[in-house]
Amino acid sequence: MPPKPKPSRRTARRARTAEKKASSTNGVTGSRVIREMPMRSTAPAVAKAGAKPVESRGKYVYCVIRSEDPRRFGAVGLGSVPAEVSTVHYKDIAAVVSDTPLEVLDATRENVLAHERVNEAVMRDHTVIPMSFGTVFKTRDDIIELLRGAYSAFIDVLLKMEDKVEFGLKVLWERDEVVKQIEREDDDVRHLKGEISSQSGPTYFARVQYGRLVESALQARSERYVSEIFEALRDVAVASRANKPIGDKMIMNAAFLVSRDREVAFDAKVKAVGAKYAHLTFRYTGPWPPYNFVNIRLKLERATPGG
Amino acid sequence: MAVERTSGGTSLIDVLDRVLDKGIVIDAWVRVSLVGIDLITVEARVVVASIDTYLKYSEAVGSVTPASRPAIDGRGTEAVIAENAALRAQIASTRRENTTSRRLRRP
Repeated sequence: MPPKPKPSRRTARRARTAEKKASSTNGVTGSRVIREMPMRSTAPAVAKAGAKPVESRGKYVYCVIRSEDPRRFGAVGLGSVPAEVSTVHYKDIAAVVSDTPLEVLDATRENVLAHERVNEAVMRDHTVIPMSFGTVFKTRDDIIELLRGAYSAFIDVLLKMEDKVEFGLKVLWERDEVVKQIEREDDDVRHLKGEISSQSGPTYFARVQYGRLVESALQARSERYVSEIFEALRDVAVASRANKPIGDKMIMNAAFLVSRDREVAFDAKVKAVGAKYAHLTFRYTGPWPPYNFVNIRLKLERATPGG
Repeated sequence: MAVERTSGGTSLIDVLDRVLDKGIVIDAWVRVSLVGIDLITVEARVVVASIDTYLKYSEAVGSVTPASRPAIDGRGTEAVIAENAALRAQIASTRRENTTSRRLRRP
């Protein structure tokens, strides 16, 4: 019994000297070693305690798909050297993932475009629920746990989005051109404009009234165009969402959910509508994953005791 | 005029418009927590807070005048911040409990 504490004290001292040595070498060899040191020194202790080894890399999640078999999408993921993209499975659903450093990612141009690039690659053969940018899990098991916990939600949404893709359509106009057009076509506006330019006295009230008339005429016109465009695309789309236009040139900022088998018809219709409104600019993008038609919010919850 | 279709990934603005807060969304602080804490040790897990799918053909909401954000948004954020604070406190207390119980067990 008595000799037992002795070896343990000795090992402790050995460990301390090892640590000392390690820290002195760190100073010389630079930051890479410093970062790896804690991993090396804790790994044996963790293994002794019977826990799983700590992973030095996290898993970035791009989207969720239906798939029972492991899939590989090639080296198209995030990273200065694009990471291999593969899947993590639970039942018949899977998260599309790649290895990434365990850190909060910045929404840089490269990172954001890589996120989208992977989604587009996966979308070619799968219905996807896109993940918003920047979600990193520590381990595979965490992802499986997420898939398990949110399984019914993911399946429900995957079925609703099955074989559907999103298209974006922004419509812009030259506001000044439209104002000139209104001045030509609207009798009241033309009359007021003439009054302002010919009057020698104060024109304040005429100007205010002119401004109001032009503004409401612009509003009416943009509403008419937008509802006509929505109406024209109704037959070729499953659903649509009108987002807020950005800037004063944009009159429409919409997303359309389209069945894959109607993609050609939708495309033809957008082009036909674009040709009809020659004075409007159509910015048409896609196919996208259905970002605008799915919103699943995840939160952190304290696990129920024993559950 | 001719309408040109560009594939999704070519316009950064259109990408940012989508990837930052649409699809499957995890609160920013949870994102930070995911890489910073071990979910198993703090007995926390990621769960679905809400699911919305938009499968209706919306009517035009075209507008030239920029509308201000509805007041509801502000309240929503406050509620989330309050919830975050509560969860953080829970995590901290769990951590304390864990360390105390470990200390108690040791002797």
